[in-house]
Amino acid sequence: MAQETEVKTSVMNNGSQGLTLEVDNISKSFPGVKALQNVSFKATSGKVLALLGENGAGKSTLLKVLSGDIRPDEGEVRINGVPQKFDAPVQAIQAGVSVIYQERQLVPSMSVIENIYCGDLPSTKAGILRKREMKQTAEKIISDFGLDIDPYEKLGRLSTAHQQMVEIMKAYRRDSKIIAFDEPTASLTDTEVTILFDLIKRLKEEGKIILYVSHRLAEIFQITDEIVVLKDGRMVKQLNTAETNEAELIKAMVGRDIGDTYSALKRNDKIGDVLLEVKNLTTDAIHDVSFTLHRGEIVGFAGLVGAGRTEVVRAIFGADPIKSGEVILDGETVHFKQPKDAIEAGIALCPEDRKEQGLIRFRSVQDNVCLPVFQKMKKGLILDRKKQEALTEKAIEKYSIRTPSLEKLVVELSGGNQQKVILGRWTSELLTTKLLILDEPTKGIDVGTKAEIYQILCDLAREGKGVIFISSELPEVINIADTIIVMHNGHVTGTLARADATEEKVMSLAMLD
Amino acid sequence: MLKTSRAQKFIKSKVFILLILLVLEVVVFTILSQGLYVSIINIRNILNSIVITAFLTVGAVLLMVRGYVDISASAVGCFTTMMVATLLAAGMPWPIAILFCLIASGVVGFVNAVLITECGFQPFIVTMAMAQVLKGLQYIIFGTNRIDIKDPTMVALGTQRIGGLVPYTLVLALICIIVYGFILSKTYFGKSIYMIGGNPQAAKLAGFNPKKMAYILFINDSILAGLAGCLLAFRMKAGALDSITNGQFTGMTGAILGGVSFGGGTGGMFGAFIGMLVISGFKTGLTLLAVPPWWMTFGSGALLLFALAFDRFASFRRTKS
Ligand SMILES: Nc1ncnc2c1ncn2[C@@H]1O[C@H](COP(=O)(O)OP(=O)(O)OP(=O)(O)O)[C@@H](O)[C@H]1O
Ligand SMILES: [Mg+2]
Repeated sequence: MAQETEVKTSVMNNGSQGLTLEVDNISKSFPGVKALQNVSFKATSGKVLALLGENGAGKSTLLKVLSGDIRPDEGEVRINGVPQKFDAPVQAIQAGVSVIYQERQLVPSMSVIENIYCGDLPSTKAGILRKREMKQTAEKIISDFGLDIDPYEKLGRLSTAHQQMVEIMKAYRRDSKIIAFDEPTASLTDTEVTILFDLIKRLKEEGKIILYVSHRLAEIFQITDEIVVLKDGRMVKQLNTAETNEAELIKAMVGRDIGDTYSALKRNDKIGDVLLEVKNLTTDAIHDVSFTLHRGEIVGFAGLVGAGRTEVVRAIFGADPIKSGEVILDGETVHFKQPKDAIEAGIALCPEDRKEQGLIRFRSVQDNVCLPVFQKMKKGLILDRKKQEALTEKAIEKYSIRTPSLEKLVVELSGGNQQKVILGRWTSELLTTKLLILDEPTKGIDVGTKAEIYQILCDLAREGKGVIFISSELPEVINIADTIIVMHNGHVTGTLARADATEEKVMSLAMLD
Repeated sequence: MLKTSRAQKFIKSKVFILLILLVLEVVVFTILSQGLYVSIINIRNILNSIVITAFLTVGAVLLMVRGYVDISASAVGCFTTMMVATLLAAGMPWPIAILFCLIASGVVGFVNAVLITECGFQPFIVTMAMAQVLKGLQYIIFGTNRIDIKDPTMVALGTQRIGGLVPYTLVLALICIIVYGFILSKTYFGKSIYMIGGNPQAAKLAGFNPKKMAYILFINDSILAGLAGCLLAFRMKAGALDSITNGQFTGMTGAILGGVSFGGGTGGMFGAFIGMLVISGFKTGLTLLAVPPWWMTFGSGALLLFALAFDRFASFRRTKS
């Protein structure tokens, strides 16, 4: 079996040398938005091409055109000069194009193996699944990736990062000539990112065409060869990675200079008295977690995937049951049975997984922004429409959310804009928040807006609020937080002040055994 | 910021399509029946036939917006027709008899909710089992004989019509639809149903209480079905077995026609009401044309499929343009 795969790969390799992918004059509109306007570029084999642009610039739409998920209004895609007409994703896959979407496309109730094979389960002529073959290949792929995942585990039980890796395995297994990644690292931590980059390098050496979308510029410089910059659905320029720099890219993307994000921040310099004290907090996933947070302080949580950061804040928020330990808010021991109690006590939690825990996907932007404060919008018996609109408009302005109307279904926004909707929800002034907890808030957010979000965090701190900031992007945590707590395996392994924190120190604490 | 006017939105909505369908239906049946369809007798028939379905539709819409179903509603209704007749026959004053019936119905809803929220069973399975339990209990407790209702007030409520045309019970049903429609579309409570139905996890993290909501909705659904059962008994002047067979399916079909989805989080009361009218009007039309019953069953199913396909096509055209 393993041999078979190798043979197949080598045939594909020969086939993919000198491969070209041409995107020619593609346009696509949605009601009220021109998502793509006459976009053209060319990608060649053995190169990684980055697609760069602000939230809503049209990157994911372009990839969906390539995957056959969306039919363009105009223009065509050519592989090796041959025009392709994809009416459905299956056809794109058959033509050798795999796209790893921004939103995971997995079945949580099925095993890792079944998910890797999702779409074309191998079966005998009689229609019986070839389970052994599936298992062997899955095991081989998992070990190729160097990950420790049980192939029989239900997907839903894996961490977000590992789920993302399974999504990548799915495309890897198909052995496509053209592979596109849409923000693959948004929910990965450094370990998996390293694995992914090694993989991309290998695929590139095999002569494949890789398209890569990310808002993390450092990554773009690390692994891509060429860059296509999109703005408002139009192609701004195509350049070689080696011949450009961050400033130039940002300018092309945003249309202006944004300078050095971190040093430009207006931070809070008056740390107040203790707001939150957590003592020996223990749940199923974390052990003996203790820390203190003051008014006006931003506490950052760093750590690898599965370190237990999300579990700590969920326990504080009353979303997970606490086994032992104490949470003291404003000098009072609290015990929230459900998130509602925590919200009433002045805590807000912006969750990590926007699709599962954040968004009400088939409701409007307005409903999604107003979600936790509907109760405050009662006017007699009914809900005040004007108030809802006003609040939503404010959020749209504060985070420059790109949406044609308040009524647009949130599922139709671009990934980054969805994230902004959730941020808008949890930072609205109608919530009388004392403590704001943000779990990976900048996931999928473009550079320009990221800087704005950092400033919003600092502003909240300046107003005397406490902020807990969880992020897997190390530079972000160590530059924004006043205190950095590092976790490993459910334990706190170290606490650092911003002045002492370096990436090396944090990493060594995060990997402690 | 782009704003679509109310009128524009309405024209794009499913409800608009349904209204067209309803008008078409009336025209076609009127022609086919040579005018009999719009005769007083037939209109009285139609009005009669929608009362019970209306109550069941209201409960079903609320549950479906939350993403639940209740297969036991008809069984609850059947049960209370017998129960109210028995209690009245035993000489109990009508307000107390009705109250007991509603309490009994509420208990059924409560048990459904416990099994679904506390034990984590599927609503479909729990309520299907509950329907059978109730059917059995009904025979065991009340026997198989018809029980006549003689209470003059209740018989009057069940049988008299305003101006000889509109049944009092229909007025009750319409009030029920309007009140629940208002609750669903305008109030905080209604909004909570949509939010929890759209994504229970996210709603919970935003301070809603999905569990409590499940209790409220299942109890509410059963009580509405129980009330419908009582009203039906008054109209028939008796408690009879199998009086409401699968009424909740007509309710659910109407709701789906009107844009309520099985996934939860979408649709509304007005659409469901129109959807229900379309179905009831359709069935009465076929009865009037003396179509055999199996063709009626076939027709209702086909109508739903047709409406779904039509809507798909329309929304497809919409996204294309
Ligand atoms: N199915 C859809 N229906 C309506 N509008 C859509 C749909 N999909 C995308 N859009 C719109 O098209 C535009 C481009 O979206 P796209 O998802 O391609 O952005 P993106 O560059 O991937 O952004 P991000 O970095 O936030 O992921 C956005 O304004 C979005 O609202
Ligand atoms: Mg995107």
